[in-house]
Amino acid sequence: MPETASPSRANVVLRSALPSVLAIVTSLVICFVAVALLRGGVAVAVDAFLAMTWGAIGDVPKLVDGASIAVLLRPWGESATKAALLTLTGLSVAVAFRVGLFNIGAQGQLMVGALAAAVVGAGLELPPFVHVPLCLVAAGAAGALYALGPAILKLRRGVHEVISTIMLNWVAVSLVENWLVPGPLRAQVGGGNSVAGTAQIHESAELPRLVGEVSRLNAGIVLAVGAALVLWLWLSRFVGGYEWRAVGLGPEAARAAGIDVSGAVVRAMVTSGALAGLAGAVLVLGTEQRYPATLGAPYGFDGIAMALIGNGHPLGVLATSVLFGGLRAGGTRMQLFGVHKSFPELIQGLALLLVAARLIWIRLVDRLAPPRGGGP
Amino acid sequence: MTTIALRGISKRFGLQLALDDVSLELKAGERVAVVGENGAGKSSLMNVLYGLYAADRGEVHVDGRAVRIRTPADALALGIGMVHQHFTLVPTLTVVENVVLGREPTRLGLLDARRARDEVQATCARFGFSLDLGARVETLTVGSQQKVEIVKALHRGVRTLILDEPTAVLTPQEADELFSVTRRLSDEGLTVVLISHKLKEVLTFATRIAVLRRGVKVAEVAASASTPESLAELMVGHRVPTTTATDPRPSEVVVALEGVSAGKLCDVSCVIRAGEVVGIAGVDGNGQRELAEVLTGLRAVDGGTLTLLGDPARLNPGRARALGVAHVPEDRLKHAIVGDFSVAENVALGRQRQAPFAKGPRIDVEGRLARTTALLEAHDVRPRSPGLRIGALSGGNQQKLVVGRELDGAPKLLVAVQPTRGLDLAAVDAVRARLLDFRARGGAVLLVSLDLDEVLTLSDRVLVLHEGRLTGEFQRGAFDERLIGQRMLGVLDA
Amino acid sequence: MSGLVLSLLDTVLDAAPALIFAAVGATLSERAGVVNVGVEGMMRAGAFAAAAAALVMPTPLGVVVGVAAGALVGALHGGLCIFARSDQVVSGMAINLVMLALGQFLLEAVFSSPSGTPPITQLPRWLGHSPLTWLAVVTPLVVHGLVERTAWGLRLRAVGEKPEAVAAMGVRVSRLRLGAVMASGALAGLGGAHLSTAVLDRFEHHMPAGLGFMAVAAMVFGRWTPLGAALAALFFAFGNALRLSLASSFPGLVEVVPQGVLLALPYALTLLVLTLQRPGLARAPAALGRPYDPELR
Repeated sequence: MPETASPSRANVVLRSALPSVLAIVTSLVICFVAVALLRGGVAVAVDAFLAMTWGAIGDVPKLVDGASIAVLLRPWGESATKAALLTLTGLSVAVAFRVGLFNIGAQGQLMVGALAAAVVGAGLELPPFVHVPLCLVAAGAAGALYALGPAILKLRRGVHEVISTIMLNWVAVSLVENWLVPGPLRAQVGGGNSVAGTAQIHESAELPRLVGEVSRLNAGIVLAVGAALVLWLWLSRFVGGYEWRAVGLGPEAARAAGIDVSGAVVRAMVTSGALAGLAGAVLVLGTEQRYPATLGAPYGFDGIAMALIGNGHPLGVLATSVLFGGLRAGGTRMQLFGVHKSFPELIQGLALLLVAARLIWIRLVDRLAPPRGGGP
Repeated sequence: MTTIALRGISKRFGLQLALDDVSLELKAGERVAVVGENGAGKSSLMNVLYGLYAADRGEVHVDGRAVRIRTPADALALGIGMVHQHFTLVPTLTVVENVVLGREPTRLGLLDARRARDEVQATCARFGFSLDLGARVETLTVGSQQKVEIVKALHRGVRTLILDEPTAVLTPQEADELFSVTRRLSDEGLTVVLISHKLKEVLTFATRIAVLRRGVKVAEVAASASTPESLAELMVGHRVPTTTATDPRPSEVVVALEGVSAGKLCDVSCVIRAGEVVGIAGVDGNGQRELAEVLTGLRAVDGGTLTLLGDPARLNPGRARALGVAHVPEDRLKHAIVGDFSVAENVALGRQRQAPFAKGPRIDVEGRLARTTALLEAHDVRPRSPGLRIGALSGGNQQKLVVGRELDGAPKLLVAVQPTRGLDLAAVDAVRARLLDFRARGGAVLLVSLDLDEVLTLSDRVLVLHEGRLTGEFQRGAFDERLIGQRMLGVLDA
Repeated sequence: MSGLVLSLLDTVLDAAPALIFAAVGATLSERAGVVNVGVEGMMRAGAFAAAAAALVMPTPLGVVVGVAAGALVGALHGGLCIFARSDQVVSGMAINLVMLALGQFLLEAVFSSPSGTPPITQLPRWLGHSPLTWLAVVTPLVVHGLVERTAWGLRLRAVGEKPEAVAAMGVRVSRLRLGAVMASGALAGLGGAHLSTAVLDRFEHHMPAGLGFMAVAAMVFGRWTPLGAALAALFFAFGNALRLSLASSFPGLVEVVPQGVLLALPYALTLLVLTLQRPGLARAPAALGRPYDPELR
């Protein structure tokens, strides 16, 4: 047994990532068995899972058979679009976790961000290199502002952030999707007709496509990867990030050490809201081109799943989001085999449930590969 | 005849062997003490007997029959009760509710409050306790809470009562009362097991003494044939630790309080000078915590003035640190270190924005590592692994690191609250030596401890706090334990 | 005007029970020291199981199946929190996400319909409302009595404040807590069953549409007491009913105050009340969220 002074860095990283990896693998296996049982046979399940895989990473067999590169680029576009949203909401939840707050309000923050992006995108006419950033800033600011409330309520009045963000989610749904979008902000189309949702954004506000019209691959994923890298550097290399982590892991010790705990909580929560708001912008500027009648999916909850499965680490969140973004994009292909397209969400939910049992995995890992100086 | 026999008990926590083949016999009506330094396994042994810990090996016999005690319920059914060092009372429930918990009288499925009260009343009357039965436990004094614990056990009809460090938080007067009560109970046939590391009380109370060292029973002696010195030698193995305080040379005033009130603290005026250790004596919860918090900037002052190094100061934790106040807090894991941080990250805590821990806004990883390595070496913290999670270190090593870190920045004042609680004897010695060394170099120390012996051993001057007010001041050489005890209880003239 | 009051009462009596059951149930889990933000998922399990079972058996039996499903999910949450010592909020959210996805998946896999189950026979009506409505009137009182007046309740209150005390007196902490979380799940399941067998006549894919989260808010609002939680649930239901009644009685009102603003009002009001109440007044059980490990050193 190697007797090093302290466990190597790679070992530490591996040990902290292993529970998540095992949880994901286990949930994939459970779901595979479920499909095999429900849809009559292992062969069907294999086909379905293969279809999902090709749907996620591109139809490699077809490419081998001589199809154009588009058979890869198109799925990549879908996977990347979904991964970008998951990453941004996941980072939003993860950064709040880092200062010890559970931001269930990513959904509401995403809504106001999406609305801000839709309004700025449709209301102004500007050159693209100004318009897109302006929309992003507006969305980030809206989300940040919406997250500021719970932070202040927590610090000043002791209102638990889980409760206040749940309430604010409902307020956002009510005001945005039951008033502003179907009411004052509803798109007016000539002749008194109107379509559901807000007015379409100008072309100058659309997120630039990376590979032309072949694929929907857009700058959203670049933004998401950038955010993950910046956050990772901030948390691991900067004193400010160190202070955030200290606040999250030991708020009393952080206060006793002279760290501005309230300031760290406010700044992290504002960052969290801004990331959720950016996710809203990516949705509107990249996919929807307007605020639709309803967002229709629990993006905020997905963010919670990504943050937890990714173990709160920015790069872990990114990796998890890319995986599940791919599964979701590929999941639509499973419908051919009679498997509902919500199947990837089931895999995700199960993985989260298994991650929640982290302690069991850690014990298992410790038993199979005892830590340094092991033995009974 | 033997009522209880523990035979060959072994218990392991992780890699650490807490109990190694320990045997002990308890006879009916006997008063037995189990002594040993912190971590020697005294509490673990009794927790096995009480069903809180599952022994890895060994058996327990009661009245000659082998029994399996897997839960406290089993222990209680066998007539074994335990009063824990940290009380197991529910603060928000009343005395009656606490006593009947687990065996509540019911009528038609509902709690029978009247019968519960009558039953508890009867128990109290029978054993001579007087308690306010309807009071919520959180409103009682520590001494009364301990009585509730004892009544709880007696109410279950126990024949053997284990007392785990019962005097740790009592005044000398309260401790005397406790021992007179338990002595009477033992005369009536109750077997009493006293777990303690205070040798004086052990020798006056017990008839037989078992000594544990690092999980092994090293001796079993009659109290009549023992002295504090002989017991101490058995406990430690080789040498008797002595902490010698040199003559103090107090000089200029480092901190002065003038009529300070804050929370429980009420109109406190005092000074702490460079080169002296000022000890605070008091029963838990009489304002010591508030005093420490005021000096470290964790608590705002409601009234009065605080002068630090000649300047009136409004402190917050950051400012206090910047002005040279170091803090070794009572709850290390909560207030001093971040358990999930590495050792090096914890060394930076409090100075994370200064060199050598930072270069501008960025963390200076190399500088931090160098300083951490030096500190680990200087304070003999083991293992010497700056990258290890600090939570994986033993309590003694964590505390040595905290003390080292706090004294590293050349502070003027050290506020130390219960600095040696729960440490093994070697670590206790190391920490105490650092405090006295700091004093010798001209540092001012405020020492808060609930262990009166520690306060008297280390302090040059003792201040007594009762209900937030100063009720006495004693100079080294004029320490009178009885008198200090009375002042701790608020008795001013006796 | 009396017509308005009556229709208001009618709406409350139909809408409130689900919230009341779930909120009162949540107090049981949390008073025992186990955070339960998984109420939403437990309600969903109850709603789905009740409707699915009612397709093949009498609806009242279906409700029982719904209750059992809720208790089962409660057992899962309790098991994770108590035995695997998971973070309790994480476990609860995981349960919500699993139930959200599982419900959709089963709809598709078993009923081949993404929007809902086929219709079932609704529960009969007693005095114009489902029996569950009347059960919801007495449940808070019964649970209050259980918590405040029985031996089990005393232990429950004690284990949420100081599990060590309960363990030291010979009561199994894990069993007590697991029972409380399962009871919490059963009541949430009953609330869900009310949605699919009394409010509607089928399970719809979005059920319970956030009511579980509202129930948790009601529990906090009601300061962790069964009666308080029930009153808070009633308040939420009333706010919603008032909006519906006003909108239908005074169509002009919606011109002045948009529907969405009215919809947001109960939530905004809850936030306001939570903000204004003295900090520290709403005291959560002291051991809430803290796993109990007898050998912790």
